[in-house]
Amino acid sequence: MSILANKDTRVVIQGGAAGVNAARRMAEFCYLIKRPLNVEAFVYPPDAGKTNEIPYGSGLIAIPVYKTVAEATKNHPTINTSLVYIGADRAMKGAMEALDDSHIKVVSMITEGVPEKDAKLLGAHARKLSKVFNGPSSIGIISAGACRLGVIGGAFDNLVLSKLYREGSFGVITKSGGLSNEIIWICSQFADGITTAIGIGGDAYPGTDYVSYLEMFEDDPQTKAVVVVGEMGGDLEERAAEWYGAKKRRIKLIGVVSGFCQESLPKGMKFGHAGAKEGMKGEGSARSKSDALKKAGAIVPATFGALGPAIKETYQELLKSGQVKEIVEPTTLPRLPKSVEEAMKADEVMVAPLIRTTISDDRGDEPCYDGYPASELINKGYEIPHVIGLLWDKRLISKQEAEIIKRIMMLSADHGPCVSGAYATILAACAGIGMSQAVAAGLIMIGPRFGGAVTDAGRWFKYAVDNKMNVDEFLAYMKKNVGPVPGIGHRVKSLRNPDKRVKELVGYVKSLKIKTPCLDFALQVEQVTAVKKDNLILNVDGTMAAVLVDLGFPVDSLNGFFILSRTIGLIGHWVDQKRQDSRLIRLFDYLVNYAAPKRREVPPLK
Amino acid sequence: MAKVLEGPGMGLMKKWGIHVPHYVVVTSADELSKLGQANDWMKSSKLVAKAHEALGSRFKLGLVKVGLDLKEAVAATKEMIGRQVGSIKVTQVIVSEMVPHKEEYYCAVKSTREGSEVLVANCGGIEVESNWDRVKRLCLEVGQAPSPDALEKLSKDAGFTGALAKKMADFAGKMFTCFDNEDAQYLEVNPVVVRESDGELVALDAVTLLDGDAKFRHPDWNFPFAAEFGRAYSKDEMEVMAVDSKIKGSVKFIEIPGGDTAMLPAGGGASVYYSDAVVARGGKLANYAEYSGDPPDWAVEVLTEKVCSLPGIKNIIVGGAIANFTDVKKTFGGIINGFRKAKGDGKLKGVKIWVRRGGPREKEGLDAMRALKDEGFDINVFDRNTPLTDIVDKALQK
Repeated sequence: MSILANKDTRVVIQGGAAGVNAARRMAEFCYLIKRPLNVEAFVYPPDAGKTNEIPYGSGLIAIPVYKTVAEATKNHPTINTSLVYIGADRAMKGAMEALDDSHIKVVSMITEGVPEKDAKLLGAHARKLSKVFNGPSSIGIISAGACRLGVIGGAFDNLVLSKLYREGSFGVITKSGGLSNEIIWICSQFADGITTAIGIGGDAYPGTDYVSYLEMFEDDPQTKAVVVVGEMGGDLEERAAEWYGAKKRRIKLIGVVSGFCQESLPKGMKFGHAGAKEGMKGEGSARSKSDALKKAGAIVPATFGALGPAIKETYQELLKSGQVKEIVEPTTLPRLPKSVEEAMKADEVMVAPLIRTTISDDRGDEPCYDGYPASELINKGYEIPHVIGLLWDKRLISKQEAEIIKRIMMLSADHGPCVSGAYATILAACAGIGMSQAVAAGLIMIGPRFGGAVTDAGRWFKYAVDNKMNVDEFLAYMKKNVGPVPGIGHRVKSLRNPDKRVKELVGYVKSLKIKTPCLDFALQVEQVTAVKKDNLILNVDGTMAAVLVDLGFPVDSLNGFFILSRTIGLIGHWVDQKRQDSRLIRLFDYLVNYAAPKRREVPPLK
Repeated sequence: MAKVLEGPGMGLMKKWGIHVPHYVVVTSADELSKLGQANDWMKSSKLVAKAHEALGSRFKLGLVKVGLDLKEAVAATKEMIGRQVGSIKVTQVIVSEMVPHKEEYYCAVKSTREGSEVLVANCGGIEVESNWDRVKRLCLEVGQAPSPDALEKLSKDAGFTGALAKKMADFAGKMFTCFDNEDAQYLEVNPVVVRESDGELVALDAVTLLDGDAKFRHPDWNFPFAAEFGRAYSKDEMEVMAVDSKIKGSVKFIEIPGGDTAMLPAGGGASVYYSDAVVARGGKLANYAEYSGDPPDWAVEVLTEKVCSLPGIKNIIVGGAIANFTDVKKTFGGIINGFRKAKGDGKLKGVKIWVRRGGPREKEGLDAMRALKDEGFDINVFDRNTPLTDIVDKALQK
């Protein structure tokens, strides 16, 4: 048996993220004791109508979120307990809502910093309704082998180490959340473990006091002794002592009280929980509380350290008198499935990777490009073209190569608003579309007819050079197998109206005295084609392609140079339109040749 | 519990219809002179000037001056402002009118577990302290307001008669209303006096303790809470408080001058048991500290640096129970960073560090602490199998 929380406890959790975390911890305990999850519902208005996914074993359980406690209990009529994880300013309203619900018998509040008056009102209201209000500032309630309410008990390993999977003989009541776990652990090591442990919270006026819980433990035949961990301040321990001394009790009472240090502290200095404050004339001091407990017949170890041996002694007496029997531990217990990360760390599983990368690694404190830390590249004077070299071709290019790439990018960054890419971006910008989509609209235009011929031009010039073709052989091959030569021809430029960008780039590359077989071949091709037709000149795509192939960049990366460079221009056009707050544009009908059939009658549908 | 100085305390009482003397709180003698030109009562009444700080025994320190005229009050203010008493510097002076009176009475409202208690006595001042049995009480359940009849009975029980009984009942009723509406934990007026000019009961001095946790619903609490120690907070204490106010979870730090055992334990409950263990072993605490509620590692790091900066420490107790949800590895990470920084700054020479802890990721956290040995720290690390406060016994073994 246990008190307050048992196998029939069904819970609604009021609150958001902290409540979900508590539900996870509760699910771990339910999994350990092989029982279904005891959380039925959440109440959290911002998420009403959604579900919270709670891991249970290796699966996930979807728990519905409601707007009100009434809705939750209407849909889950077995709910009898509420845990309050709402902020201090709204906690009272939430807890009142739960107390006023006829289904709910126990309300436990973890919220800290709740005004004293609110806590008192909640306690009084619960007493009036013969319900239990536990907290505020309560870490929770746990009944071994039966039910966990809140995060009390800690991590899964600790639940096992503290033998919380099965009942013992000791009840625990503490103000401190951290110490509740410590006492549970001590009870499991020095005795046979706990029945129920309750964190009542460290506030000055907890909703339910030691006496109420001591009475419940007294009525629970499984509980043979109760450990009370007290603190200076208030009179809860004195009242517990009074209750214990009033008549012969079935349970043994073991108590410790903290705050003896107060006696040697500078006057007026207080610390610990909110409730830890001494009254006038020494009432509520650790000493007066300890003395009261001792006088009432409780076992009061001199220090916290002596608590374990005192519990052990009590347990030995219980064993001797036959009130408890030694417990045989189960040979196997459920183990919490490890997450993939944990299992990999422990070398227990091997996972086939989903993707593979050979260029970059973000797992350290900064990204590394092909192994080189970004900050070191910066500090050693490398620039954007070098990063392109590392990420596109996995090699640290030379200063000279970087200069060529920089020039290519500068020359192709933009080409005015009329070309397909810029026009598409402007159109989108004027329609109020955001930057990434508008720039993407421009990039979508890059293809065989606009800017997207770099890769193909590079591929075929390289093919010719690799196969030692002469210009005639190449043109014949292309005519037969491919079609127009990519990189040759321009819509408006011609021999007489040359493209200055091409001249600039060719001039610079040729001045470097490097081997440029592809560029040389492309220029020879132009010599032939431009004679046939004035505008069949080597265009900027073709020039870039030939140069980049000569620099050794992989053919498949070549369009990237245009895409990257032109993105600079497209972003510029989007920002420009945005800055001007441009209006929506549409075509004028006089710009359209309406070649569709004349208006006619729709025949009846057959 | 948040202590409020006399000025704002009287302001709250006035708000709920309790008569208080005219008063002003000033930060300079000049301000008082100017106010003296604007307020007739300062020229027509005798005045009291008191240092408006959280100081005990102000009378003995010469920080209360009575029976002054305006000129004398200005002089007294000039003398008080800037005076240093221990760690507190006087920055404000409260100047109020003296209310001529014959009798002094007592009235208070205090918080109890069940609700509250209204206390009334027909003696006041220091007389009530030596005649505590003359204080009569009216116990009230939370949510219950005292009836006029009950208050009148209380007043009569306390020995008030005739019209005064009714007046005292009315005064106590207003005290309760103020207490209840302002989320007070303790209100005390000593003395309550009969103002000779109109026969009204007036609150001459106010002790006001408010529930700091209720600040969120009192936007008009625009006054700072006073330090409860009778001393000002130190720079390091204030820095830790500033961190505490920003984070999830909490970090707390209070210096205790003269001690040599530094405390860096986890948990509001366990930290006091650790302090008890030090005292029980005859050690001298150099501070109180505590972190809990899974605070971020950087906050624990700040706390650690402050603990390491305490002068003359010989041991640091990094204690803690078995945590429920505070991540031991993460919070220890903050402590380790703090230790490294302190060591880098030349601190921690000859200081022994004692660690005991359990909770989520305890093994990783404790292993990381153990590894500090290799960096030259004098550190002893224990796990959950060593009882909570045994590290204190080990540390303080002669």
